[in-house]
Amino acid sequence: MRLMACCLMLTLVRPLLGQDSVIVIDPNARPIDSLVRGGPPAEVVTDLIAFYNDSATTRMQGDVTLPPGSRFEGKLALYRGSLRIAGRVAGGIAVANGTLYLLPGASVEGEILVVGGRLLRSEQVEHRGAERVYWDAAPVVRGSDGLLVLRERRRTLGEIATAKATFQTGRIRTTLSLATGGTYNRIEGLPIHFGPLFEFRPSDKSYARLDLRGILRTAGSSTDLRSDFGYVARADLRFTGSTEFGFGARLYSEVQSIEEQPLSLSESGWAAFLLQRDYRDYYEREGISGLAYFKPAAGLRVEFSLSRDAETSVRATDPWSLFRNSDRWRRNPLIDDGHYFTTGLLLEYDTRNDQDRPNTGWMIRSRLERSTSDDIAPVALPAVVRPNPPTGGGYATDRLLIDVRRYNRLTPALRVNARLLAEGWIGEDRLPVQQRVSLGGPDILPGFDFRAFNCAPEGFNDPAQPALCDRIIATQVEVRTRVGLNLGFRLPDQEGNRPGRFVGIEEADLVIFSNAGKGWLAGSGPGQVPVNRLPVLSEWSLDLGLGLDAGEIGAYLAKSASSGEAVKFTVRLQRRF
Amino acid sequence: MLLLTSAFASLPGRVVGQDQGDVRLRIALTDSAPNGARAPIIRSENMLGSTSRWLAALRSGLPVRLHYRVEVWRSRGAWFDTFERQVEWDVLVRHEPLLDQYTLLTLVGAARQERRYATLDALGAALAFAYQVNVRPAEAGRYYYAASLQVGTLSDSDLDELERFLAGDLDREEDEDGSLGDALGRGATRFLLRLAGLPSLRLEARSGHFTVH
Repeated sequence: MRLMACCLMLTLVRPLLGQDSVIVIDPNARPIDSLVRGGPPAEVVTDLIAFYNDSATTRMQGDVTLPPGSRFEGKLALYRGSLRIAGRVAGGIAVANGTLYLLPGASVEGEILVVGGRLLRSEQVEHRGAERVYWDAAPVVRGSDGLLVLRERRRTLGEIATAKATFQTGRIRTTLSLATGGTYNRIEGLPIHFGPLFEFRPSDKSYARLDLRGILRTAGSSTDLRSDFGYVARADLRFTGSTEFGFGARLYSEVQSIEEQPLSLSESGWAAFLLQRDYRDYYEREGISGLAYFKPAAGLRVEFSLSRDAETSVRATDPWSLFRNSDRWRRNPLIDDGHYFTTGLLLEYDTRNDQDRPNTGWMIRSRLERSTSDDIAPVALPAVVRPNPPTGGGYATDRLLIDVRRYNRLTPALRVNARLLAEGWIGEDRLPVQQRVSLGGPDILPGFDFRAFNCAPEGFNDPAQPALCDRIIATQVEVRTRVGLNLGFRLPDQEGNRPGRFVGIEEADLVIFSNAGKGWLAGSGPGQVPVNRLPVLSEWSLDLGLGLDAGEIGAYLAKSASSGEAVKFTVRLQRRF
Repeated sequence: MLLLTSAFASLPGRVVGQDQGDVRLRIALTDSAPNGARAPIIRSENMLGSTSRWLAALRSGLPVRLHYRVEVWRSRGAWFDTFERQVEWDVLVRHEPLLDQYTLLTLVGAARQERRYATLDALGAALAFAYQVNVRPAEAGRYYYAASLQVGTLSDSDLDELERFLAGDLDREEDEDGSLGDALGRGATRFLLRLAGLPSLRLEARSGHFTVH
């Protein structure tokens, strides 16, 4: 038995026991960017074709059996199928892309050549002659004249056609795409992105690209507050080496969501598409931005950004949804329109072992922003929420986000994860509406209603339920363990003689969690928290819950512990954090 | 080699929540080095076995992705176990109906290897290869390995994206910004595919403890 060895960073140890093999993976080896195409050696394929096409060879195709007691003299070849030999063969055997079975009592006097299949040998088999077996498919086809010819290699796995069209001109690769983008929402409906992407890789350590996208908003605008078209032009330059760094610039006219919670973009899109519940608010921004970043250490990213844009309110339209289509969408809140100049500093430290399902590591993200405007047109808000911002120029505000997540494995079967999130105003004038925050809803405090803590004063009734808090702080803790569920059913197999396809969830994480948080207005008024301190723990709202997380979907029950709200049921399409 | 292959019989890894007769993930340990360190040997079994649901997916034109991950953990008694390092690799399988062949692409970092198999028998044997991962810890302590295998079907665009990501063309951050195809969420799309009965599976296994002196 001979089996071709893997060659990349893998080493295939040749087998000693039957067909068992071990591939050795050495993560300490020097990384090599390579593609190795395995296959039988060219000379073996030549031998196979010559054997098969020999005029003295008896050629067969499909499943063939030589029963016990039978005798065949001469060369025997089979293309595709299985050749089962229980009798006697006086001559060589070749099998191309098939399986050769030597059954009890079989006797072969001559060479055995199997290319593109296995040789399965029973006991009490007699063979005199050479034996060559290659599992890799033989690159041959059977022509109309019944003879084998060499087949040219077809496209590789990575060359599969996709919805995008990619072509190379010189050293520039161009990709034309037409696809959905962003998220389904009550402002744009299903945004369609289209346009070319140009990529240029001058060396192994540098990469440049220009991404030009038009945006078509499928939910037509019923007002002149926004256009049915938008655009994003983005240029990036990246250098990798001992320290990765890069630069980027964007020119954009796009719809932007206000808060990054209570659901992720994709989950928010699904809630809108299925249930006509849009958990995010939006505004339109048009302008230009630039950034520079570097990665001084593994997992650490430091980014400095500048942007100058016009931010305007947008109105909810009435895109279609699968259920509750006759309901009215929640109004989209008005924002403080104006031109804003924003400088930002972002620090990210990410040592998670997996971005979707981490078992260990830190994820720390902190963003400090300063926004200024000379023409802010503020929305009228109650004085208790904020004093009127200066409208004649000189408006400035500072905002900070801190998101710290830690993932741990407590024992081999138990994982414990924790998160601290703090976000909001830290100085100068109070935040514009589009930067204000809230708590409550399926993500951070699932035991409470959507925006249960939005800091709206009594008597302030806005159907848009805008987030009005200056600051929020929240903690999340969860314990996870893997359990077998077998929640579902098995379809009957078409042939009816074996178990069919399982529909449902076989395994999931059992999750027990608790969350606590507080959203507040900073100040000295009633119900407010002084500017220079955090709320005491007794003021925080607490919930407890449990659920099952099957990866692509999770179902949770949560109950507030600090108020009399009913138990809330939440379905998530990704991990809680 | 004899020791490696027989390790599965002598030192079966503890398998969590895995159905007998269905796909299984097994983790075993090599023999001890002089300092007591042992390397993990990972093997998936029965991929094309009794239910053949992966085979049905392949023949429906859906490539199947096997994502392996091995984590090295240091046990610290009653306190949190410490994560030391991990190694990941992928195996992509695709059926080419015109040739009635199966393409098997193994990806370890930027290194890729493509092989083709003409028979299910050969493909099944190739999928049953064991992987010995050279991640033996060097520092003294009590250790174990945790392995996971995520098996799922991929659409062509997923496959294209994966290839591009592995080639270093895509930034992960872009996905979070809402890149192309995110309108209704890639994960949610996969969930709907799963509800439709298309297979998806995640298996975990852990080795026994060993002590490095």
